[in-house]
Amino acid sequence: MSQITLTGVGKSFGAVQVLRNIDLDIKDGEFAVFVGPSGCGKSTLLRLIAGLDTPTLGDIRIDNADVTRTPAADRGLAMVFQSYALYPHMSVKQNLAFGLENSRMPKAEIEERITEAARMLEIGPYLDRRPGQLSGGQRQRVAIGRAIVRNPVAFLLDEPLSNLDAELRVSMRAELAALHKRLKTTMIYVTHDQIEAMTLADRIVVLRDGRIEQVGAPLELYNKPANRFVAGFIGAPNMNFLPAKVEEPGGEGFFADVLGESRQAVRANAAAVRADQPITLGIRPQHLRLARENEDGVEVEVNLVEALGSETVVHTTAGNGDPVLAVLQGQRPFNAGDRITLGLDPENLHAFDETGLRLQGN
Amino acid sequence: MSAISDIGDKTGAALAASVKWAAGIIDPPLRWLQKKAGFNGMAAFFLAPNMLIFGIFILVPMVINFAYSMTGGGALFLPDRVFVGGDQYGRLLTCSDYSRPITCTEDQFWIAVRNTAIFVVVQVGLMIVLALTTALVLNKSLRARSFWRAVFFFPVLLSPVVVGLIWRWILQRQGLLNYILFQFGIEPTVWLTDRFWAFVAAVGVSIWAHMGFYALILLAGLQAIPKDLYEAAEMDGTRPARVFWRITLPLLGPNLLVVLVLALIRAVQIFDEVFVLTGGGPGTSTLFITQYIYEIGFASVLRNPGLAAAASILMGAVLVVLTLIQLGVGRRKDPKEAAK
Repeated sequence: MSQITLTGVGKSFGAVQVLRNIDLDIKDGEFAVFVGPSGCGKSTLLRLIAGLDTPTLGDIRIDNADVTRTPAADRGLAMVFQSYALYPHMSVKQNLAFGLENSRMPKAEIEERITEAARMLEIGPYLDRRPGQLSGGQRQRVAIGRAIVRNPVAFLLDEPLSNLDAELRVSMRAELAALHKRLKTTMIYVTHDQIEAMTLADRIVVLRDGRIEQVGAPLELYNKPANRFVAGFIGAPNMNFLPAKVEEPGGEGFFADVLGESRQAVRANAAAVRADQPITLGIRPQHLRLARENEDGVEVEVNLVEALGSETVVHTTAGNGDPVLAVLQGQRPFNAGDRITLGLDPENLHAFDETGLRLQGN
Repeated sequence: MSAISDIGDKTGAALAASVKWAAGIIDPPLRWLQKKAGFNGMAAFFLAPNMLIFGIFILVPMVINFAYSMTGGGALFLPDRVFVGGDQYGRLLTCSDYSRPITCTEDQFWIAVRNTAIFVVVQVGLMIVLALTTALVLNKSLRARSFWRAVFFFPVLLSPVVVGLIWRWILQRQGLLNYILFQFGIEPTVWLTDRFWAFVAAVGVSIWAHMGFYALILLAGLQAIPKDLYEAAEMDGTRPARVFWRITLPLLGPNLLVVLVLALIRAVQIFDEVFVLTGGGPGTSTLFITQYIYEIGFASVLRNPGLAAAASILMGAVLVVLTLIQLGVGRRKDPKEAAK
């Protein structure tokens, strides 16, 4: 059992409010990922859970026990730092043993735990080396190993893959997912990389300016973003946004006038909008296609074409000057300056009101 | 604002133009030189000014000093002096019982050596402990940290003579310290004319004068230790004492070595502040090796520059050996070196 509950948590550094009113419930065994742009407060939130910082407001509970003022060491958590934080003057084995020695654990048990972690992470051959003699990936494994040997109630991982190269990051990501499956321990993972968030998380917590924007399963966030920020942050490449205006609402949605040049059906709660209301329509680049003959689409001008073989990434500009990115299947022989018409399907359209909130039922 | 940025832009442009102009002038001859001298030759060319200054002010005087140590008599100029080979070294090193300076031909030299050895061990040991403690305290987020850093560093800026004078005024029989003690009803002590207290004063004053510099080096070392390591230790539930012995101290090793080497060299060379403070007395209780060299070479009635030169060569040799030993030990223990 290791459920982590945050209630009304806030954190200020002097006059700067870094986190505001965070309510969050991380379930036992869950892989939760905190994601958001730089400075959104995700690492601070992790540090509050770890006990390395104290919240200004609210309380933190682990398995229903209030740990808000409990020292980090007594929370039963283990943390993997972005920089690995391995002691450079100690061997890998000494690094793994250091925390266990603090709790005066018998030597035989320490040895047993180290052997098990080394086997699990395949770091056995490096136990006598120092961190400086290891590659980035090996250091990362040692850092994870140091967390594993403590047998924590939950793992806290602060951007653990950000110092690795792209290829290693992909393989370590898979290893982390496998490790979570094997250990079945609660993991809280901080990243600014939404691909890491999408691939690893059971649930993603999207943060912006110290507030939670949305919490949900990766595909829930992808398919039903709660607001324009989440829609733009989750998914790669970023979602396109087009200004539009509600025409007469009714039935299962409404028609929207896009850029004053195209009339599109939008599935949304018609009661939530009024005629002539300015809205924003969002569509992912992968959901754009070339319009069929006589179809009412959005005309754009091609700026740049990236032919990737199986698909073509087309950078374009809409009539109002906004950039529109389209990822079209197959190979498309476009040139810069070409004018093309992109078709929009109602099921792939996301509608947001003037404040950026998702229009229900969409 | 725009007027200011205008001035800034114009100043920047003028500076850039003048640098470009200067570079344009020196570029052709340097290109020609590089063609003639090659890449390594250019390195030697750029090193030459420094090597010249080093040669004139350090290397040549060392050679001359060595030459003096091979000569005898009271004449000041080398050509007027008599070559005596290693006689001066022999005179310095001749003792019937090395544990009793009185049995040595140059008993003052051996007294100075003994005093210097005790001074080095006590002063360097105490100063490193105090400098480390100061650095650890100044590294904490205490109120007015910059002020306290300045307070501890301030004595380093003082001339040694000023340091000596300040402390003489404090410690002399009718000085400030005795006045304060008297106000509290404590019997005044003759700090500078008592053999034990004079030595203690010499150690204390030199620590006061130099500790700030070493504390600053250690503070820089402490700040270079990543905070993450301490946070990892905190997550591991490491007690503060264990954090100090197992994390801080090993990672501060290279800085401690630098401090040890510098403090040791300085302690062996101790002279000016103690000379002003006690004049080497009472008796020979605070006579250190540099003062001995100075007095035998320049200040005594029967001055002997050859003997002084030989003593300084011996002191230099001891310093070189000690430094090499320290660096050798340090290289074996440096975690960064070991990690390679």
